[in-house]
Amino acid sequence: MRRAAPILATAALFLLPLAFMDARTYVTLTVAGLAMGMLIFLVAAGLTLIFGLMDVLNFAHGALFSWGAYVGFSVALLLNQRWGWAAAPSVPLNVLLLAASILAAMVVAVGLGILLERVIVRPVYGRHMFQILITLGATIVIEELIRMIWGPNDQVMPVPLTFQGSWDVADVIVLRFPVVAIVLGVLVYLGITLLLTRTRVGLIVRAGVENGEMIQVLGHNIYRYFTRVFAAGSALAALGGVMWAMFSQSVRPAMGGEQLIFAFIVVIIGGLGSVTGSLLGALIVGLSYNYVAFLVPKAAIGINMAIMVLILLLRPTGLFGAGK
Amino acid sequence: MSSDRLTPVQLARQAERGRRFRQPAPYLRLACLVLAALVPLVVPSFQVLDLAAKIAIFAALVASYDVVLGYTGIVSFGHAMFFGFGAYAVALSLGKFGAPTYAHLAAGFLAGVALSATIAVLIGAFSLRVKAIFFAMITLAFAEFALILAVQLTHITGGEDGLSPKLPGIFAVSYEGGRLLGIPVTGRLVTYYFILAICLALFLVMARFIHSPLGRTLQAIRDNELRAEALGFRTFVFQIASSSFGSVVATVLGGCYVMWVRYANPESVLGIHVMLDLLLMVIIGGIGTLYGGIIGATFLLTAQTLLPHLRTVAASVFAGSMIMQRMTERWLLYFGILFILMVFFFPKGVIGTVRDALARRAPSPVSSPPHPASPLRGEEKR
Repeated sequence: MRRAAPILATAALFLLPLAFMDARTYVTLTVAGLAMGMLIFLVAAGLTLIFGLMDVLNFAHGALFSWGAYVGFSVALLLNQRWGWAAAPSVPLNVLLLAASILAAMVVAVGLGILLERVIVRPVYGRHMFQILITLGATIVIEELIRMIWGPNDQVMPVPLTFQGSWDVADVIVLRFPVVAIVLGVLVYLGITLLLTRTRVGLIVRAGVENGEMIQVLGHNIYRYFTRVFAAGSALAALGGVMWAMFSQSVRPAMGGEQLIFAFIVVIIGGLGSVTGSLLGALIVGLSYNYVAFLVPKAAIGINMAIMVLILLLRPTGLFGAGK
Repeated sequence: MSSDRLTPVQLARQAERGRRFRQPAPYLRLACLVLAALVPLVVPSFQVLDLAAKIAIFAALVASYDVVLGYTGIVSFGHAMFFGFGAYAVALSLGKFGAPTYAHLAAGFLAGVALSATIAVLIGAFSLRVKAIFFAMITLAFAEFALILAVQLTHITGGEDGLSPKLPGIFAVSYEGGRLLGIPVTGRLVTYYFILAICLALFLVMARFIHSPLGRTLQAIRDNELRAEALGFRTFVFQIASSSFGSVVATVLGGCYVMWVRYANPESVLGIHVMLDLLLMVIIGGIGTLYGGIIGATFLLTAQTLLPHLRTVAASVFAGSMIMQRMTERWLLYFGILFILMVFFFPKGVIGTVRDALARRAPSPVSSPPHPASPLRGEEKR
């Protein structure tokens, strides 16, 4: 019951805006909010796992998000220019384009993540201030590399035709891409949860979150798991990057930094180290942002900060925080 | 009182006082001050004066950041935000209430300080309660929020364009105060010395702060939070005191910055670039050294002033090569690499490394270490 309480309270809270708007607007906003939440969740999940297991606050996570977005952008652009996969009115080709972009982005991010973990993060395990400074330095370098390779300006992301436009379900306008994002987010959440609870690797990772030293004593090389989790987190960030680029139909070098701040808020709300907490936090942030932006546009930027402060006051370790 | 009745802390202080004037450090600091004071008399170039004023402001700003980062061990990404509060408070006070007077100037500084102190205490109260690492994330979020506010509230802050206030009386550009020692006394010159005096005063206050019992407690918390707590200190309260103190100093300097450059826009006083510059300066100069800021600010600001020239040279040399041109444009990349290398290989910065080398050459006569332990020492993992 204690675990379910925050979920129930949140669900009740999000029926509240129904009192101020008609049901159709509510559905449209809810879909947009859920999609935004799911995309933030992709970034926050990696961040929270890396923190939970390795006790590393990875400021370079946002830069990996940008890298993912740019690699996905390049692949999508290439496929579209060469064979017109995005413009073609063919569902399989469009899906293939999305899959190829995501795959390429994730592969590059995994490589980059492993490099980052080995070279930058590994020498500073256990030293928080050092970690924050060094990953921030890495962020500068990675983001500047993007500006060097792809140029410093915004670019338009090609969006496959299938995912453009909207469906008209019983007079309610439902945009297509957000639905794709929600489905993907749910799949990723289920994947992570199953991996963590049903496999041996997941068992070790969860045990590592509880007590890393004990895992080492039991004969597992925890550094190997550090690298894997870091790589997986990077891949999730890159996935989030590609999806966000298609969602907003553009790529910018600074996009990762902006998302990272959302992800931080989400991770703080959900509790450091908890994947379920991140999902809940992300949905809270995404939904409340969209509702408030519709009802009181001026207050939209402040609402996430307000929620974060409120939750920190009520539960200083976040909704699902272990007080780690 | 005989010396065997003194506590170890008192002994260490006595030894410190005895050494004070036998080391080069105080003379070097004095030399820096004299140099800064002589700049307008020796070099009549405005560019050099501009650089000197900015170095003075940023050196003090880095020192105030060092109080929080190096002497208390909490990482804040909101320091530039407090700098921006000061800048905007002074700019608004001077620009929005009729003809500027000295009262407006003072009111601007006071309002900025009051706002910063309140917000710093609030942020600390929310985030330091659980864990110092929350502080880094939450200050970053607040800084971003402040930046968005400054851009969006166009009718108050002027949006992206910012504000360009006029200064009152002897600080005004049009002020002419005759000649002194053959140098024309202009508003610029008065402002320069005013800023220099404030920076000096702030440095003295900060040095006093870190050597006070409060400052020593902060260093104890930095070195071992659990032990400090076990000794009966409420670490949370001390950390809030330190971050608020640093923030207030940053606010005053923000006001000074506006007095010098005469404009405040989101990019120049609130943006993430100010924060990055600060971090670079504090790393280059040395964390936990207070005066490292002078070296860090001098290096980085001079480099940034010279870089555009370097870029035109590079553009003419590598004309036609797109990738080479982009590589020279992205100077932040090289600062980022420098930053990482500094953190890895010279975590104590220029001053810390030099101090270490000196300490190795001439072992200190007392048992206490001649300089504070590096703040980057490993924290014990729970």
